[in-house]
Amino acid sequence: MHEFSVADAVLERALETAADHGTAIIEELTIELGTATHVNPDQLTFCLETIADGTPAADATVTIDPVEPHARCDCGWDGEPPTLDVSGAVAPNLRCPDCGERLELVRGKECRLSSITVPDADSSAGNGDDPMRIDETGD
Amino acid sequence: MYPTRTRIDIDRSTAYSSRLNTVLATALKIPSTLRCHRFGHDDHEHDHDHGGNEDDVLARFREQAADVHERVVHDNDVTCIEFLGATGSGKTMVLERLAERVPAEERVGVVVGDVAGEDDARRLEEHGVETVTVNTGKECHLDASLVDDAIDSFDLEQLDRLYFENVGNMVCPADFPLGAQTRVLVVSVTEGDDVVRKHPLLFQACDATVVNKADLADAVGADLERMRADVTDVAPGMDVFETNARGDDGVDALADFLDGHEHDHETAHAYE
Repeated sequence: MHEFSVADAVLERALETAADHGTAIIEELTIELGTATHVNPDQLTFCLETIADGTPAADATVTIDPVEPHARCDCGWDGEPPTLDVSGAVAPNLRCPDCGERLELVRGKECRLSSITVPDADSSAGNGDDPMRIDETGD
Repeated sequence: MYPTRTRIDIDRSTAYSSRLNTVLATALKIPSTLRCHRFGHDDHEHDHDHGGNEDDVLARFREQAADVHERVVHDNDVTCIEFLGATGSGKTMVLERLAERVPAEERVGVVVGDVAGEDDARRLEEHGVETVTVNTGKECHLDASLVDDAIDSFDLEQLDRLYFENVGNMVCPADFPLGAQTRVLVVSVTEGDDVVRKHPLLFQACDATVVNKADLADAVGADLERMRADVTDVAPGMDVFETNARGDDGVDALADFLDGHEHDHETAHAYE
């Protein structure tokens, strides 16, 4: 039952991002959730909806995108490992299909806020149908 | 109802903090109409750079663990090992047997996680180790921030070894490393010889397995070979130690492994 603390951290990040953009309402939260974790998507959704009460995300739709494991091996193998052949089958098979050594997961263990959807800040202010897009510039 | 919506994509890139600051600094100078704010989205998933995972909650927990690791192992040169597994698997007794093997001149600390009570701490203190009990109350596992607070109670500069004994739990600790060099999963044959198959993600998150109460295998109909084979299937390459901690059998091999593993800890899975 750590979905509550996970939800709390996700919501905090979403509210920060919304505040940075000067919006008072979050309509949707999208979360990428690795399937090689013990975070339960239904419980996470329930916890988020519960603790969002009274915040700008109170009525937000929570969307959870499952992320399947992706692994790499020192031998160069790179791909989605098969599911472990045990009852329940909730874990990846971490034996490299090529060399037999242990794989390391590079995806599948995340719980990442990937986007929030907010109302248009000011649809009459002149940019029309050409939404302003700011790509990261790096430094 | 709102006629239009903005989707704000959250960056996954490694240098997220600095990029976010740059982008926001730019954004704040631009008046209104910020409809689509999309950050870069490159693909450096295996990121250990602190601050690079602000939006990945589980990665942040792992970063907290890495901070504990840095503080204990690197800043203070303390050997740090976590023991986890189900209630009654024998974590505390394995720790007692290891404590008995510690040279007299060494100082040992244990962070003892339990939902309630100080029973384990009392037992360990009889072996001359310093303890800090973390009663998690309504939480089912230790996390790195709890541990970070708990180790304030130790004089880390004077400590030689620090053990974390997690709350008895075979689920949640898989997602919550604590920053130890080595995570040792203690199971017992009395949990059933299918215990490995039932908890694959936890085994994959650990560095060694202790199969305790091995002397009772026949009595409870547990197949030790099956347990070993399951560990190999679930976590290829993982070392397995059969022990009878109460009778002090098999503990030497574990102690030797742990002493050797500390020198190789950068390759461990302990905080990834």
